[in-house]
Amino acid sequence: MKNSEKKILVVEDEAHLAKGLQFNLEREGYQVTLVDNGPSAVEILGQEEFDLMILDIMLPKMSGLEVAKKIRNTDMRFPILMLSAKSTDEDRELGLAAGADDYLAKPFHLPELLLRVKGILRRWEWYKQPVHDQEIFKFGDMWINFATGKAKGCSGEFYLTAKEALLMKLLVSKKGNIVTREELLEKVWGYGPQTETRTVDNFVSRLRKYFEKKPQSPQHIITHREKGYEFKP
Amino acid sequence: MSRLRNLFHPIMVFIGVQIAWIVLMVVWINWYLENNLAIKEFAQKIRPDLFTVEIQWLILFEGCFLMLLILAGVYVIFVYWNKQNRLNQMQSNFVASVSHELKSPLASLQLYLETLKYQDVSNYERKDFVETMLSDTQRLSELIDNILQSSKADPKSMALQFQPVNLGDFLADVVKEHKRQLEAKKCLVDLKLEASPTLNLDPRALRMVFNNLVSNAIRYSPAGSPLNIHLHKIGKYWEVNFEDQGFGFEKKDMKKIFRKFYRVQNTDTQNIEGAGLGLFISSEIVKNHNGRLKVSSPGRGQGAIFSVQLPASREVEV
Repeated sequence: MKNSEKKILVVEDEAHLAKGLQFNLEREGYQVTLVDNGPSAVEILGQEEFDLMILDIMLPKMSGLEVAKKIRNTDMRFPILMLSAKSTDEDRELGLAAGADDYLAKPFHLPELLLRVKGILRRWEWYKQPVHDQEIFKFGDMWINFATGKAKGCSGEFYLTAKEALLMKLLVSKKGNIVTREELLEKVWGYGPQTETRTVDNFVSRLRKYFEKKPQSPQHIITHREKGYEFKP
Repeated sequence: MSRLRNLFHPIMVFIGVQIAWIVLMVVWINWYLENNLAIKEFAQKIRPDLFTVEIQWLILFEGCFLMLLILAGVYVIFVYWNKQNRLNQMQSNFVASVSHELKSPLASLQLYLETLKYQDVSNYERKDFVETMLSDTQRLSELIDNILQSSKADPKSMALQFQPVNLGDFLADVVKEHKRQLEAKKCLVDLKLEASPTLNLDPRALRMVFNNLVSNAIRYSPAGSPLNIHLHKIGKYWEVNFEDQGFGFEKKDMKKIFRKFYRVQNTDTQNIEGAGLGLFISSEIVKNHNGRLKVSSPGRGQGAIFSVQLPASREVEV
């Protein structure tokens, strides 16, 4: 798929920033739709399909975090890049926990933003290509449908976020082998190991909450100290 | 652990101290009354010359008085602590909101500068970007003005430099400066001048007041809602009304909004940026012009009217 066929929804209430983002993304060949508040974003998502959403956190009426959570509770699945002036680790974790796939603090560098957008879209495409004969992967009494992102964990059925599904797919495709944190960062997040490896740990602990009866003593997603993670069906 | 911490919370300690001294007084007076007779007899046997009833009551009153002093002291310390605590809280809110306020225009500036650096842009686009950046720098400088002004220990000592200012032209100028922000929010301004008096004012300070009021009207209104600015004479004052059809506020917030760092908290406004300084500074500046800054709002969601009243005695002949 060419850039020109990819649709990006930009949810940003700062008119200047929104216009600048639109200009640059259109220059890269994406189709951009601008929305300046949370409820309109949810509304337009119900009508149109997008390949990526760039979401600001501080929005009038409904915050970006709420928008992300709302989307996460539906079967709509596409990556979310969160933009925010809040730059502490806790803010970052809050954003990722709400369902964002990537988090960029304002002010940001334009080349970095464009690279991240490109990376997210590329990985999303890799994810959408079927790797297994069957898209539903079963282990124990749990299962994951990689095509729809729907899964059944310890406490019932739910939807994985794009990034969670991507991470799970990578671990599952290498089941029985150790996958290093660096490899996960590179393939799932698309940036080098110099970036915080804590991001990976955050995501893994979330996956454990879904798929482990006792997240403290995991049976499926095993940590290998100083090496990485391993998935055991 | 949290229970233990609750126990040592200053309010709990304060209540504990109060209970302790009341119990002490009760026990003490009770003991004294019960043993009064015994002591009297005992004292009369040893040194009858020392014993008078008046002195004993005096000692009781003296004790009560000192106890009251201690109570008052504890109360003063408690009130002071409470004030300090609230100030610290406000300070940290302020730092959080100011850093966000500073970052938004900064992010926009960086984005446009990098766009100019990395993309080929046409002349028209370049001009447009530069205009946008200039409006961001204006927003930054307004905010920095507010912060500097509010950090002055005593706003009453504000050194104002008065000079004749034509109020009508001045208002038109302020509106022009916000052209870009107004356009971005599709906000139409209706500037109605019944006269254009020349008053003795500090233009720099007053510009901050009008900037704050116009920026507030833009930020606290949904896109596309109008702003009416009306200059007219009312009694001994020249009054400038800023009437918006924005989110408004409830009656209980009416006085509080002029407090330093105070911000109205509700679902409409929770994600609107602001440092809680603008109205505080504006009202101080207007007061220093011997004027008044008034506000009224019919209620939440029904807009607000801010009125700057400047004394007509400041009028000068041109």
